[in-house]
Amino acid sequence: DDIQQRTIRFGHLNNLDHPISAGVKKFAEIVTAKSGGKIQVKEYPSNQLGTEQQQTQALRGGTQEMQSPATTSVVGLVKDLGVIDFPFAVSTYKQGFALVDGPLGEALMQKLPEKGLVALTFWDLGFRNVTNSKRPVAKLEDFQGLKLRVIPNPVFLESFQALKASPMPLSFSELYTALETKAVDGQENPFNVIRSNKFYEVQKYVSATNHVYAANIILVSKMFWDKLSATEQKILKDAAVEARDHQRKVSLTAAEEAVAELKKAGMQYNDVAPAEQERMRRAVQPVIDKFMSSYDPEIQKLYKSEVARVLSIK
Amino acid sequence: MTIATFVLALLAAMALGAPIAFSLLICGVAMMVQMGNFDSQIVAQNLLEGANNYPLMAVPFFMLTGELMNAGGLSQRIVDVADALVGHVRGGLGYVAIIAAAIVASISGSAVADTAAVAALLIPMMRNANYNVPRSAGLIASAGCIAPVVPPSIPIVIFGVTAQLSITKLFLAGIFPGLMMAMILAATWWLVARKDFKDAPPRTMDFARLRKALRDGVWALVLPVVIIGGMKAGVFTPTEAASVAVFYSLFAGLLIYRELKLTMIPRVLVAAVRTSATIMFLVASAMVSAWLITVADIPAQVVVLLQPFMDNPITLMFVITLLVIVIGTALDLMPTVLILGPILVPVVKQAGIDPIYFGVIFIMNNAIGLLTPPVGNVLNVVAGVSKESLDDVIKGVWPFLIAETALMFLLVFFPSLVLVPMKWLS
Amino acid sequence: MTRIVKWVEGLLAVVLAVMATLVFGNVVLRYGFNTGIMFSEEMSRFLFIWITLIGALVVMKDNAHLGMSSVISLFGDTGRRVCRFLADFLSLLCCLLLVHGSWKQVVLGMEDLAPVTNIPMGIIQASLLIASAGMALVLAVSLWRQLTGRMPSDELIPNSARSGE
Ligand code: NA
Ligand code: NA
Repeated sequence: DDIQQRTIRFGHLNNLDHPISAGVKKFAEIVTAKSGGKIQVKEYPSNQLGTEQQQTQALRGGTQEMQSPATTSVVGLVKDLGVIDFPFAVSTYKQGFALVDGPLGEALMQKLPEKGLVALTFWDLGFRNVTNSKRPVAKLEDFQGLKLRVIPNPVFLESFQALKASPMPLSFSELYTALETKAVDGQENPFNVIRSNKFYEVQKYVSATNHVYAANIILVSKMFWDKLSATEQKILKDAAVEARDHQRKVSLTAAEEAVAELKKAGMQYNDVAPAEQERMRRAVQPVIDKFMSSYDPEIQKLYKSEVARVLSIK
Repeated sequence: MTIATFVLALLAAMALGAPIAFSLLICGVAMMVQMGNFDSQIVAQNLLEGANNYPLMAVPFFMLTGELMNAGGLSQRIVDVADALVGHVRGGLGYVAIIAAAIVASISGSAVADTAAVAALLIPMMRNANYNVPRSAGLIASAGCIAPVVPPSIPIVIFGVTAQLSITKLFLAGIFPGLMMAMILAATWWLVARKDFKDAPPRTMDFARLRKALRDGVWALVLPVVIIGGMKAGVFTPTEAASVAVFYSLFAGLLIYRELKLTMIPRVLVAAVRTSATIMFLVASAMVSAWLITVADIPAQVVVLLQPFMDNPITLMFVITLLVIVIGTALDLMPTVLILGPILVPVVKQAGIDPIYFGVIFIMNNAIGLLTPPVGNVLNVVAGVSKESLDDVIKGVWPFLIAETALMFLLVFFPSLVLVPMKWLS
Repeated sequence: MTRIVKWVEGLLAVVLAVMATLVFGNVVLRYGFNTGIMFSEEMSRFLFIWITLIGALVVMKDNAHLGMSSVISLFGDTGRRVCRFLADFLSLLCCLLLVHGSWKQVVLGMEDLAPVTNIPMGIIQASLLIASAGMALVLAVSLWRQLTGRMPSDELIPNSARSGE
């Protein structure tokens, strides 16, 4: 038969109340249904199987089957994936989805098999937004001097320096404590992550800077993938894409709920006017130009035409 | 059942005398084989990731602080202050030991380091004053076990990292239980030592001496305030606090007390590297078995075994506490924390017990386990320092061991004794 | 041999001092200069992995890893010798497994770059390859001494005096 009894260990770093977990559950349901119960997906949330980098390594070594890391966690392996996370590239969810679902996302996914990974699709993590304990960030000048913990990634570090903030190196595991004790002023993450990690308990202001559209990439161990029959591979691919549509719906609703909940928990929320966002985008443009030139020329070209295409989507 | 493989392989390897770090690896390999999941990369990768952890860097830093504190004369100053404060009362050196151990506990992250420092300074004084030496050694050993309960604490850092709990919260939650330990030891010392000192004439309080001791000791006494206050007030994270403590004790030892010489620093660093590598290798190996515990879903199997108690948190805590006491007789603190932590934390969470509260009781239980024979590491330390036989020291320790155990059960039956002060501090 | 160990210990001591300085330096920079050393978190973590694993190898050479002595001390000399042999043999198998596993990890890790410092993760992971290979050697020497009757009885009981607790 071309469908065998299999168990897929699917790990991620988010808690069970996070939309990524909803995506994994949906994926598991579809896979079980399509395989007639033969392929089981077991979810390991909350870094139970280790950090995202550790799990990626486990996938490459064939000791774990699947994971859904943020694209930023995989750039050490496939540098070009970094283009997705350039700040202020897109400004709506529709544009973000179109960017990763289009030819650019496809070209980037093609770069993974040589690193021992197979990418199926992109799920939604959400726009990253700034929280802090000092002041609302409504215009470019509000970044001035804010001690912000940003993800340890050169593009992020230099972008926030360009915005005149003080990016602070800090591990995520110490972030809550550092915010609680005001060792740093703020951090930047999607609304769902802010809610899920209870940062509202220790932060006053949440500003919809929407500075990066963040996606999670759905990865399968290539060693595992190569053992699968074509039918099994198709089941996984289709299930990941089908679960994606559900996951994005859940994620968007959750982001709205999260904002409401953050406000209810006493955080002061503010939007950023499009004109101000444009000023921020201009401030980081030199950083983007500097890093862009170090990527694969094909990807550079594709990125430019794709961003131009998706920005026309309203 | 994987849980049987886990327990049997671990016990067998440890009984053979294999290093505990390797026993954990052997048990991990046995679980992989049973689950049909054998792959050398699982072992290598989890071990590496076990050491690849920023918060755990507090471990070598706290070790280094302990070494610098002793070499720099900070421990001596703390004992001097305690002596000037309560040394004059009947049986006063006992209270001196408790107060000194409690203050050192709020600088040192380790019961062994705390006990060794206080015992080395006080046992000669107690012997000269005709104190019952085994009883004094027993008291110092029990007072040294306050160190892992109150911040800073190496076992709490390791527990917090393995259980993914806030280290700051665990630290703050341990302060009051640690104080209660000191108080119950003082009361017990008063009870058992009354007849020993009925003839000893008390000294008179010497205020001039106290003033001098305080002036001299202020640099040492400020360190706990810097560490705990700095963390509480949010000046730095636990890992950063540990590095601040290193530079503070270096500064005080070199420039204030001038007992630490630059030539001593290499030896101090090497000692810290060795103890920290020993512990961290154990921690890293435990991450291998912890990964397999997760994949084999062992906490769920334990929940099934503990099902009759799952509905009543206090009964469950009572049962777990008894279990840890039994295991604590044969195993010391760090291995117990590393082996049982990843299994028990999901279980207590499912039963609705506050994991921070559980953590405090669990660490206290394991600290007390350092006093229970046959394997009681702190007992070995005081026996070594006092040159008394282990049997005599065991006879000396039992009243204090019973008192601390009674206190622990009090906290099990009345969780608010831990939870209410915890709220005040957060 | 002792010279090499002393040299390695000295190196590890320097690394620990650098780690503490990196972390402390970040606190100072944050309050004094409103900035931070970007590579501090990552770099100090990598140094930490190295001192942990190479330090563990040094400790292994001195047979100073923590073991449980309560059961083995119940036996007579022959029983202790059998236990020690089995324990060392099983530990040797673990080390060989670690050599194999960490070799594969290093190969995979050489193309995986750390986010800030861009150091290949394989270089970090090589610490385990060196440590486990060294430990395997220590254990092999110990087994050879046991088989050839060169291990005195007082070396049979594992070290149960620990610190850090
Ligand atoms: Na302490
Ligand atoms: Na014990």
